[in-house]
Amino acid sequence: MIETGITLLRLVLGLGAIFCLGYALLTLMVPRPRDFSVPERAAFSFGIGALALTLWMLALTWRGVPFGLAWILGPPLALAAALLLTPRGRRAVREDVRARRLRPPVPLSGWDWLFLGLLGLVFLYALPRAALYPMWAWDAVATWGCKARIFYTTQGLDLICIDAHNYYPNLIPLLLSYLYFALGQVNDSLAQVIFPLWGALLLGLLYSLALRLGLSRRSALGLTAFLALNGTVFIVHLYIAYADLPLAGFTLGGAGLLYLWLAGAAPRGSLTLAAGSLAGMAWCKYEGPPLAATLILAAALTLAWLRPAHWGRRLGQLTVPLAGLVVGYLPWRLFTVQQKLEIGADHIQGFYPQQMVQGVYHLLAGLVQPFYFGFLWPALALALVLAGKRLWRSPMLFLALFVGGNLVAIVLAYAVAPTAAAEFPGYVRATLDRLLLHLTPVAALLLALGLKDLNPGAACDPERQNPGLTINSNPLSKI
Amino acid sequence: MTPAKTWRFWLVGLILGLWGLQILWLIWHFGPEARDLVQRAARGDVGGAIRQEEPLYRWATALQGIIPESATYVFLDDYAAGKEIEVRYYLAPRRHILWSPKVPASFLFYALHQEHAAFLLIREPQRPLGPGAQAALHSPAFQPVNLPGPGLVFRVDASRLRWGFYD
Repeated sequence: MIETGITLLRLVLGLGAIFCLGYALLTLMVPRPRDFSVPERAAFSFGIGALALTLWMLALTWRGVPFGLAWILGPPLALAAALLLTPRGRRAVREDVRARRLRPPVPLSGWDWLFLGLLGLVFLYALPRAALYPMWAWDAVATWGCKARIFYTTQGLDLICIDAHNYYPNLIPLLLSYLYFALGQVNDSLAQVIFPLWGALLLGLLYSLALRLGLSRRSALGLTAFLALNGTVFIVHLYIAYADLPLAGFTLGGAGLLYLWLAGAAPRGSLTLAAGSLAGMAWCKYEGPPLAATLILAAALTLAWLRPAHWGRRLGQLTVPLAGLVVGYLPWRLFTVQQKLEIGADHIQGFYPQQMVQGVYHLLAGLVQPFYFGFLWPALALALVLAGKRLWRSPMLFLALFVGGNLVAIVLAYAVAPTAAAEFPGYVRATLDRLLLHLTPVAALLLALGLKDLNPGAACDPERQNPGLTINSNPLSKI
Repeated sequence: MTPAKTWRFWLVGLILGLWGLQILWLIWHFGPEARDLVQRAARGDVGGAIRQEEPLYRWATALQGIIPESATYVFLDDYAAGKEIEVRYYLAPRRHILWSPKVPASFLFYALHQEHAAFLLIREPQRPLGPGAQAALHSPAFQPVNLPGPGLVFRVDASRLRWGFYD
């Protein structure tokens, strides 16, 4: 009993250290963290903390320092302490503490309780399902979890003994191995709690972004429950050790902040924070860098199309998220070159038109099949139709370009996939749900914009507050 | 309310109605797993205890005591069965090389020799074995390890592998 308590305490402290590091970095990246809501600060703190810690572990390997809790946590926590002791850090902490004291209780209505109850039901199932069952899903055992185990036992990023897509980025395996160090043992069921945690942070971020887009609390909670309880994919990814849910979380963070920036409604420091999200995308999964690049491309196209005031200068400001993408991509790329790791060419070998046709069919079927994402994608299609001209006359275009462009990219990826004709349907079945998961939270954000019209009482509608969101003009955005 | 707005609310109502039905379906879909979770939690057989139910896990755990961490082993199995990745996971960081059970003897012996493999594991010996596995069973370079479990284990003395045509 005491041993279980100590193990749980070590887990909580291990996770707390990630939040602490991320929060300290947040105070460095953002002039006033209080401009971001609690769910936003929590989501970005964990994401940035996990990103920084795992990149630090990569740096340790590069310098030949064997992994150990002292080396993994010592310098980053010292940095965090130093950052929090600066005037800026002290002010951020002081404001947070003061705000918590002053916050009045907000009464919940019947619908709020219903949506919160539904969300609670999801985690009542997913959290124990993750923490009480051992790691079992295919890619978890074959790739992410296996690497984590090896990194822990060999005390380094040792890829000699394994051939499991060794060129894949390692945020998730390193994060899991860090938790093994924190726990003092390989406990793959307890370490899996990062996935429901990441899912909860993603949902909190979506809720918060929906409020910023102008939805009422009830609608924002409804939208969050609509994402969590639509189809099986999101729920299953809450308790399997795959990199897709974290990638979806980083993608939502990047897309949400870039949208707010385009809409002139972003808190100060949003572009820097978006850069952190894009770095997380690149370091999280092989699909991350192209996905992050399409975010920047969609933002650039939106600016070029809408031509708001100072749009040329704002195009230049997109170098900030681009720098984030480079920071997330380059260290691992240089490491693979230095270690002479073979980069897989399993994605591009030729162009197969018949696979493209089949890919379109499978994609459309995947979007409308309730088994995957329920009615979320049909609802989005409906919302886009209802949006009418607003779709291409406002920054909503950015989210639509990103989602639409990546759906096209999925079809193109299937057209170049080197699989035998007989294996192709199985290949699609094994990948489509995950590829769509990366986009689905952003699709929910786009849906929130569509829902806004049905929610005339919303108080903080950035588009209504900022007439510059339309094609005619655009206010200077705050960076 | 204008007719256009009425239509919108009807459509949204339709989506929400379908969503409600879908939530009921989700409860039905995840119900058996949730029931299993509750029963296991009540009995306390969670975490590692779930793995202990798997004969493959017990076999792999026993192998951890036989195969040194620095050693390499060749595993004969079909990738699609999904068992090879489990054994690799349990035996990590031991170096793992997968070959099909149908592998020709020349390929298998070359791999064992070239990769300095110290062990050969055959997961499903009851299935018809290919020429490589058959040759291994009759070669003095392979010493069977007496380990109860679903598969066969051989200690390999790569220096005793004679070169020639085995196929």
